[in-house]
Amino acid sequence: MIRSDVLVIGAGLAGLMAAYTSAKQGKKVTLLTWGEGTLTVNSGTIDILGFDENHKRVNNPLQGIDNLPADHPYKKIGRQALQEGLASFLELTKQHELTYIGSMEANQPVVTAIGTKKRTAYAPLPMVLSEQALTKKKIRAVAIKGLKDFYGDVMIENLKKSFGPDKDYGVIPIDTGLMGGRDITIQDVARYLDTPQGNADFLSQLEDLDQDTLLVLPPIFGSHGHTVYQTISQEMKATMVETTCLPPSVPGIRLRYAFRDELRQLGVDIVESSKAVASEIEGTKAVSVIANSASNQRRYYADRFILATGGFYSGGIEMRDFEKPIEPIFHLPISFVKGEDQWTNEELFGSKAQGYAKTGIETNDLLQPVNKEGQVVLDNVYIVGRNLAGFDFCFEHSGNGIAIASAYKAASVGMGKEA
Amino acid sequence: MEKATVVVVGGGATGLGILRDLSMRGVDTLLIEKKDLINGASSRYHGLLHSGGRYAVKDQEAAKECIEENKILRKIGQSCVEPCGGLFVRLDSDDPAYEADWVAGCQASGIDAQDISLEEAFRIEPRLSKHVVSAYLVPDAAIDGFRLAWQSVESAKRYGGRIKTYTKLSDIIVSNGTVTGIHVQNTLTGQVEEIACHILINAGGGWAGEIAQMAGLEVGVQPDKGTLLAFNQRISNHVVNRLHKSSDGDIFVPHGSITILGTTSMSIPSAEDTHTSREEVEKLLAIGEQTFENLRDYRILRAFAGSRPLYMPPGGASGRGASRGFAIVDHKSQDGLSGMVTIVGGKFTTHRLMAERMADLVCKKLGNNQPCRTAEEALVPQVSGEEKKKAHKLFPSFGTDLAATRLGPERFKRVVAAMEKNPEKREVLCECENVTRAEFEEIARESTSHILNDVRRRTRVGMGTCQANYCALRAASAFASCGHEEAAKDSIKQMKQFLEGRWKGIRPVMMGRSLKETEMTRGLYELVFNINGEEED
Repeated sequence: MIRSDVLVIGAGLAGLMAAYTSAKQGKKVTLLTWGEGTLTVNSGTIDILGFDENHKRVNNPLQGIDNLPADHPYKKIGRQALQEGLASFLELTKQHELTYIGSMEANQPVVTAIGTKKRTAYAPLPMVLSEQALTKKKIRAVAIKGLKDFYGDVMIENLKKSFGPDKDYGVIPIDTGLMGGRDITIQDVARYLDTPQGNADFLSQLEDLDQDTLLVLPPIFGSHGHTVYQTISQEMKATMVETTCLPPSVPGIRLRYAFRDELRQLGVDIVESSKAVASEIEGTKAVSVIANSASNQRRYYADRFILATGGFYSGGIEMRDFEKPIEPIFHLPISFVKGEDQWTNEELFGSKAQGYAKTGIETNDLLQPVNKEGQVVLDNVYIVGRNLAGFDFCFEHSGNGIAIASAYKAASVGMGKEA
Repeated sequence: MEKATVVVVGGGATGLGILRDLSMRGVDTLLIEKKDLINGASSRYHGLLHSGGRYAVKDQEAAKECIEENKILRKIGQSCVEPCGGLFVRLDSDDPAYEADWVAGCQASGIDAQDISLEEAFRIEPRLSKHVVSAYLVPDAAIDGFRLAWQSVESAKRYGGRIKTYTKLSDIIVSNGTVTGIHVQNTLTGQVEEIACHILINAGGGWAGEIAQMAGLEVGVQPDKGTLLAFNQRISNHVVNRLHKSSDGDIFVPHGSITILGTTSMSIPSAEDTHTSREEVEKLLAIGEQTFENLRDYRILRAFAGSRPLYMPPGGASGRGASRGFAIVDHKSQDGLSGMVTIVGGKFTTHRLMAERMADLVCKKLGNNQPCRTAEEALVPQVSGEEKKKAHKLFPSFGTDLAATRLGPERFKRVVAAMEKNPEKREVLCECENVTRAEFEEIARESTSHILNDVRRRTRVGMGTCQANYCALRAASAFASCGHEEAAKDSIKQMKQFLEGRWKGIRPVMMGRSLKETEMTRGLYELVFNINGEEED
């Protein structure tokens, strides 16, 4: 029989953070994952809150949270869990050579893969636009030959809008020699820069740039940690800044490796390629979760279950027919907006959150699932990340903040370390 | 002032067929269209090349026309037709008496309907409902309306035919009871100009009534809206029709990697209305799942709608009861106005025949006695097998054939040369439809490519299973670097416009896996690119 103190289902940022927090408290933790987890499609920036309900830009996320409606997950999670959770996240990343810089009280700009600016609370070091970086007169986008999804022309067009007309803009093409008749991805280049040869080759093509240059590049400086970025930065006169990128997202992959290594050290049992499909319930307690792998079906028993299977994207919530969303493992009650007009907006990109995106599981302040009457449905199950109801993370730029804070809280509640 | 002997208003299949026919007979013809070509009913339908089986009971004349035209279009538009064949299946709940009438109707109309065993039917279409009680093979096929339209333009251009897209008719000039010209406005620049002509052909489809009104005439056209669903897989390998009295949602047409199910039938006030609703989606699914029981397990890519322009002679039937036939109105004999003729009704499958009849009438008026040759000459030449073989190493797996059919020999040659010269042009911009950067750029540079969506309709970028999720950025970047208009230089606007266009069709089907795909799109474009949060500082 497979029994643990805590069973975490899902290996996106919320699931990984929940497993980490539980294991740090000395619990025996099993992490069930199906597929890669969403960190490979995650921007890697820790957005806490970027926009309010009316799509007005939020400059101070902590203050912005205070102004959110009462049913927003942040209101249930609370400020303490957010602060402690972030501190814990920063500690983990630091141990794995990832440096996150920022503040909960001031969003900072980072450059996106198309040259626009985006604001975030905590940015990975290579993305941070320092004061000094902003004073550079020459801005150069690095276009890597054969690389998909990072285009010099579009970068320059938008960088001009982001950094103003007074600077000197240009594209620097470089050839990594990786293009053997097929398109290459940012991850390919990052892996190449993991090697000494890739490192040297890169430097030789860019080392003569002067110190008044800001180089804007896709996140190619290695797939583990920030050491490749730091080493190359020291040898270059120009300043370098990484952008966000389309999947495979290297900043997200770096985070994934950091968590994976940490969880292994903490003895977390990571069960991969196992899809949780059902559960066994007695009264108001979940007893076990049933998961299918390629070859067999197993039951995973635990005292506490943390549901981090995500929303519609990850299959944590499914909706085969209109107005019939389900959570397929515990069949928890789902909160959603009714009516075609409420479900979506006429515009994909507008000034109002999409109704459908708020579909999720309603909880109490302890993040236990509740029914319409507010009664706890299963008292040893906790809901984290995108499984929670009441927020459109794409609209408000809050996904990673909610993931970290809710996971921290769900793993801490009743463990002698109340958040 | 621009002049043409004949001006055709309306860039749908009918108008383009007329442009081609008249041009081939040596008549100087200009076609104007208020949007991009094929924006009305000609692209907003199943993409079904009818065998005529659909009309075998109700209208055998239409059935005969269909089977004749079916054979002709396969020949002249080889690279537009996917000769997948069709099935008519009767379910145990359908009236058996209709089957007998239908078999007789096919025989009388010259449609080869071949009775096959149920065992054979389930072998060739394993997903068919077990409620099927009889099945017939017919020569239905799938046809690409966009490609056929642009190839018709190619064909017409060889004989001097001209087109102007994004050009809206604003006024018809009449002098002494004769049409002498028109005023048009460029909808992108607002520029107005006058075009002189001897004959004006109203081929406006659902808009034909409004066009006639500009000359003070009345033409009864009832737009009849049909909603369709596109699924992201081939549900069947054949066109699958329900063998019963024609009804909603009973035809499945496979196209490349997708399937189209349709359609509903609803009279609407204006052909501009292409809105679709959850209710219509539900209706189509409820009927469709009678033929394919696991229909709801497929992802719906999008819903879309178009209007059949049903001609309404005074006192006629409406909706599905109205004739799918066509009518030519000579306004000289009907209204005493010389130099203007209208063509309405009909269907895509018979558009060439309609064009032939119209061209006959116009040529008679012009004293031109050249015969129609549109049934004999291919629209465009084919890319040779040898050339394709040579180019194979440059394209993604199945991409050579797709590019060859989309491009035709001349463009194909240029695209191959560009890819040979610069390997970066081999970048696959759109994985779903196998579109390379070189092909995209070839089309984007043409004078009729004003906005990104125009290039989409030509290349199929963004029309496949990802619905522009990945390729919107790539296409906008390619367009910015080679598009010739100012619009091309605002890549965020192009991306947004492109994705909002896709959203219109996704919105009514926001359930199942569409939810997942939309979350991906929004995650990338709103979160990773922040295209919805442009900075004001």
